[in-house]
Amino acid sequence: MSELLSYLGIVSLCVCLLVSLAQIKISYLKSNANYINYFNLSLIQFVSCLLSFLILIYIFITSDFNFSLVYQNSHTEKPMIYKLSGSWGNHEGSLLMWILILTIFNFMFASMSKANIRLTEITIGVQSFLILGFLLFLLLTSNPFSLLSESPNEGLGLNPILQDPFLAIHPPILYLGYVGFSLIFSLAIAGLLLNHIDKNWASIVKKWTLSAWILLTAGIGLGSYWAYNELGWGGYWFWDPVENASLMPWLAGTALIHCVSILEKRNTLQSWTVLLSILTFALSLIGTFLVRSGILNSVHAFASDPTRGLFILAFLLIVLIASLFIFARKGPFLDKEIKYHLLSRETGILVNNWLFLTILFIVFLGTVYPIFTDIVLNENITVGSKYYIFSITPIIFLFIFAMIITPFLNWSTNNYKILIQKIYKPTLLSVILIFSISLYFDKLSITEISLLILSSILIMANLNSNILFKNNSLYLTSNIGRALTHAGFALLIISIIANASYAKEKITQAKVDDKIIVGNYDFIFSSISQKKEKNYHKIIANFEMQQHSGTLKKLSPEIRFYNNPPTITSETSIARMLFRDIYIVMNVPENQEFINVRIHIKPFMNFIWVSILMMMIGGLFSISYRIKNS
Amino acid sequence: MIRKILFYSPLSIIVLLGILFYYSLNSGTKSNSPLIGKEIPEFSIERLLNDNDQFTSKDLTSSENINFINVWASWCIPCRAEHNVLELLSKIDNVDLYGINHKDTKKNATNFINTLGNPFREIGFDSDGRTSIEWGVFGVPETFIVHRGKIIYKHIGPIHISELEDTIIPIIKDLN
Repeated sequence: MSELLSYLGIVSLCVCLLVSLAQIKISYLKSNANYINYFNLSLIQFVSCLLSFLILIYIFITSDFNFSLVYQNSHTEKPMIYKLSGSWGNHEGSLLMWILILTIFNFMFASMSKANIRLTEITIGVQSFLILGFLLFLLLTSNPFSLLSESPNEGLGLNPILQDPFLAIHPPILYLGYVGFSLIFSLAIAGLLLNHIDKNWASIVKKWTLSAWILLTAGIGLGSYWAYNELGWGGYWFWDPVENASLMPWLAGTALIHCVSILEKRNTLQSWTVLLSILTFALSLIGTFLVRSGILNSVHAFASDPTRGLFILAFLLIVLIASLFIFARKGPFLDKEIKYHLLSRETGILVNNWLFLTILFIVFLGTVYPIFTDIVLNENITVGSKYYIFSITPIIFLFIFAMIITPFLNWSTNNYKILIQKIYKPTLLSVILIFSISLYFDKLSITEISLLILSSILIMANLNSNILFKNNSLYLTSNIGRALTHAGFALLIISIIANASYAKEKITQAKVDDKIIVGNYDFIFSSISQKKEKNYHKIIANFEMQQHSGTLKKLSPEIRFYNNPPTITSETSIARMLFRDIYIVMNVPENQEFINVRIHIKPFMNFIWVSILMMMIGGLFSISYRIKNS
Repeated sequence: MIRKILFYSPLSIIVLLGILFYYSLNSGTKSNSPLIGKEIPEFSIERLLNDNDQFTSKDLTSSENINFINVWASWCIPCRAEHNVLELLSKIDNVDLYGINHKDTKKNATNFINTLGNPFREIGFDSDGRTSIEWGVFGVPETFIVHRGKIIYKHIGPIHISELEDTIIPIIKDLN
């Protein structure tokens, strides 16, 4: 049975490979191939890949330890959901999922494309070339279906730190985002080859960019949520190189969304838009390379294997050098110059584009420069969060400033009167609000106060002019998507500042009946207990959180001892309240009496998650508005 | 003309980046730390369990035995998981195990040793983490193998029993 499945899995991947070759050929032939051809082929591509992925899931669910991959990454005692997520929680499986998503996007594009046939064919051809490259990578270096000569009785398990429901869905969503940008890349190459970068191209690209952007935002948000809940370090973003690897395409992709709007409305900035499309996907590929080659040391790093790293690097370079060469040849002739006023929306968006790229450059430097010093200077350096915070903060000022005014500027002409009329009320209100808040709470620095004011103006201006009350009913303007996303971003900045400025932390030892005081809260360590679960046993410390001698909540951080592989993890216990999270982590008991506990009070955590959600919902509004109007 | 050259700049950046990545890939396969094959860094720190004199790099260069330097902390959960493997390691012939206690308090560290046992010959107390930085430590636990004053091998993360058998013991056999 296992041999048959292994055989079937590989054969269906080979079918997918052959179909991809056929797709490339169609796009190459300048053919008379019609819609039916590429549509059917992309359907076969998708179905064959799906079949192979279903086989992968099946062997994980049935714990078929004849497969080396299942043996390495699963265990019979593991709960079903983690058996399932185990299938993509490893290098081979996640690569197969990556290819599956490539074929999904390819199929969706083939079935929904309203672009002209040549543009569609070449886009699918480029996309199939990417599928081909990753398939070769999978089959030649990372076969997920390789069998063991003897069947072991039990598997080696999955890293317990990865046994978390959010982590089960974080990679698929993140990949959907990454891979979504592959389609933009393919569209850009096709457009370049056909000299077909215009308003029409832009409106196709905008929809796909928005979808990929929403998914990437969700993927990053989920990853951050997982790190906050599971790692027990009390933070939500660590400027870890792998986190940066997902942030960089996000920054480029966000710049792209704005730039595409100019192309769509004003038919200019062709070459810049194309470059951003290539760059966004290039950063996704570079991120993949950094994570999988083992160059970076990180919680995310997969087991490293130099041949794999070399293969991705070679593929990455072929794809990027070829595409940037086409760009260098065709790019200079794309642009259509138009005139616009200095105080116009075009300028505003361009300024924001450059600010995006500056932040991107800072993050890129912080991520890649240590690799450079390691090789050239033979010196190991680590770039800490201070570097990022201090270099990005000044840019955020300009950034929010541009975000406040740009939406109220007209295309091409100057009309500062409307601008002033729209923003003077929010400005006044925000200044009064933030100053009175900062008088009440001390400790805020002038930088923080000014950032808070700007963010608050941004929120008010956006919501005020896009959510209207007419005849006692709520009425949303067509720009509600943008308004929500921008307000979400401002809320994110406010929450980050509040979180950083008012966080409290206490690390201490405690024995039963001890009282720990942090901020306005008392924590009574009431008891300690042990419990056996299916694949681990745990020690639970029970705390009562009190304020003014009344118990508010019970908190129970845990230490878990997993059997396979033998690992100890600590589970945080978090009390989520509207304005703050109370976060307790404990360490292994020192002896019979004492345990080490760390208590964090983290203000505005909920708002961080809400703001990310707002940005995504804003994106959804924009897409649905576009679909309705097309 | 300048405009045309400008359009080649993304291509050149990618090529340069490709070269950088290629070399980092190759250097990564040779060793996982730039210190491997080099002399150990000089250091002198106080001893955790003994106030008299300092624990210095000379302690490591003076003996012909194979020295293991384990960087640990009482607040580090994986270090606890690793502790029984260290006990086994310390019992191997011709092996001396030293510890560097990283960013810890004396009370917690001593407690840790008193509760779990002391496999170490000497423990340096590196409260501010300076010595660990000189050793190029990313996080705890990390373990270095030092022979005749040179760093032979670096292990990042807790040593699992299977890693002791498959990787570390062969290195010890080689050195003997």
